[in-house]
Amino acid sequence: MHRHLKIKFILFFVFILSIIGFALLFPRLTMPFGFSYIVFLMTRPLTILLTTGPAKQRVFYFSFLILGISFALFPLFAAFYNIDTDFGRLTSQLPELEKKLQDKFFIFKVYVFERFGYRLNIEPVSFFIKKIESSGIFLLGMIPNFLSSFFEWLLLVPMFLYFFFFQSQKFGATFLSAIPNSIFEKAYVLFSQFNTKFGEYIIAKFIEATILGTFVTIGLLFLDYPYPFVLGFIAGITNILPYIGPLIGLIPALGVGLMSNDPNISLLGMSMVFLIANLVDMVLVFPLLVSKVVNLNPMIVVMSVIVGGQLGGVVGMIFIIPFIAFFKLLFQEIYKDLSVQI
Amino acid sequence: MSYEKEIMNKVQNGESLPDKLDLPVLKYLWEASPLYFGKKENYHEFFKKISVLSSFSDNEIRIFTKFLHRREFIADEVIFNQGDSGYGFYFIFEGSVDIYANHLNSNIEEKGEFIIRLDRRQYFGEMGLLEDFNRRSATVVAHENTVLLGIFKPDLENMLEIYPVIGAKFLRETALIMANRMGQLTKEIMALKRKLKEVEQRI
Repeated sequence: MHRHLKIKFILFFVFILSIIGFALLFPRLTMPFGFSYIVFLMTRPLTILLTTGPAKQRVFYFSFLILGISFALFPLFAAFYNIDTDFGRLTSQLPELEKKLQDKFFIFKVYVFERFGYRLNIEPVSFFIKKIESSGIFLLGMIPNFLSSFFEWLLLVPMFLYFFFFQSQKFGATFLSAIPNSIFEKAYVLFSQFNTKFGEYIIAKFIEATILGTFVTIGLLFLDYPYPFVLGFIAGITNILPYIGPLIGLIPALGVGLMSNDPNISLLGMSMVFLIANLVDMVLVFPLLVSKVVNLNPMIVVMSVIVGGQLGGVVGMIFIIPFIAFFKLLFQEIYKDLSVQI
Repeated sequence: MSYEKEIMNKVQNGESLPDKLDLPVLKYLWEASPLYFGKKENYHEFFKKISVLSSFSDNEIRIFTKFLHRREFIADEVIFNQGDSGYGFYFIFEGSVDIYANHLNSNIEEKGEFIIRLDRRQYFGEMGLLEDFNRRSATVVAHENTVLLGIFKPDLENMLEIYPVIGAKFLRETALIMANRMGQLTKEIMALKRKLKEVEQRI
């Protein structure tokens, strides 16, 4: 290899490592940047529809979008209003729920003592309530930080979005021109595939969560189960986590059912709603939307989610999947190249 | 007939030119000047003279060039090796390239036998754009300092998504190149078969 090609190669990798180092050192910039990138990828298909094609077609799509937003706004506001009301009711009833739980646990302690002669000396309810209170105080302490981050994001996200929508093509071309010739084709194709997969995965998960959340809310409304909107919302959000999410989403619904005095509440019915919603998701929505995008073995997905959780918490659990799909592509490419050389 | 051709014909035939110089004429004269430094970067003029894109209008060429990548190679630099995964189609914008090919069983590390030299406005690698798992069938090396304009699979996909008409047109032209090459290959195989028969008859 020529000397100046070697220098170009080394400089490029130093540049890449510096970017990674910068991203890790300044998460306050990296996080809103990443968020803006996700929003950009999610809205890209819509942007293409609205900015290309004949003028008549663009006007039609734009009118259709405005009409869709107007129709969607009312139920969205209604849903958010209901979620807010549900949350308010749930928090106001917390002391009452604590007392009920204490009573139930006391009955259980008496039963254990009478049946087995063993005195239970633990107070799990008080322990959990104290935990919740202390985390509440901790969260209160975090409010100033949260507010400053919020205002930072309010400033940075629109700026980054402007960059992605209007400047990224030019910036991307400059960045691509710096890639050494010997790896350009492969690097460019892999990077494009990762971009496509990541965007498709985010859109697919968003649609999946919306379908599941709506399904659970409607099911719980039919059963006259308490807090249907907030429980549906939680089920939708937690469903973003593959495999573990549906179970986590079920816990609040189960808790509400167990603590309620209402004799008409059907835990079985609620479980059926969650089961049917998750079956529809597993049999219909997931294979049609997500599976095609990531194309990974379920076993690898579960293991990746666990590893992602350990590495980066909830965010790691969500985003590890497209990264694994990308590494699969990368290894396939390397393997193909090696097999030709052998 | 394009405006430039019309003006050229008028100049050659000694006919009178339009009375007042409008902007397109001014631009054309400016770009036609040998002292025009921007000429090197004038992709539009370059593609207008490439037969593959002859059916493209000026605006279509302008859009098409947005999807291209400019890659610069120094003399003797390998552009790609025989057996590499192929994803792109290259036009020679400046300089020239040499094409080498190995026999099937020879060492892949060797450059192989010299086949042909391609010059400015010629192109190579179109199979990489169309095939799913393409392997480069020859090694391409820059003969001198060379500038290539490449279009790759993701660009073609983007073009088909954003400008489907131009994407389809370009695909048709690429398919035509392949068809022409196939035609040439068939002719060569036929000629070889004929020669083989003659040799067999002599023996």
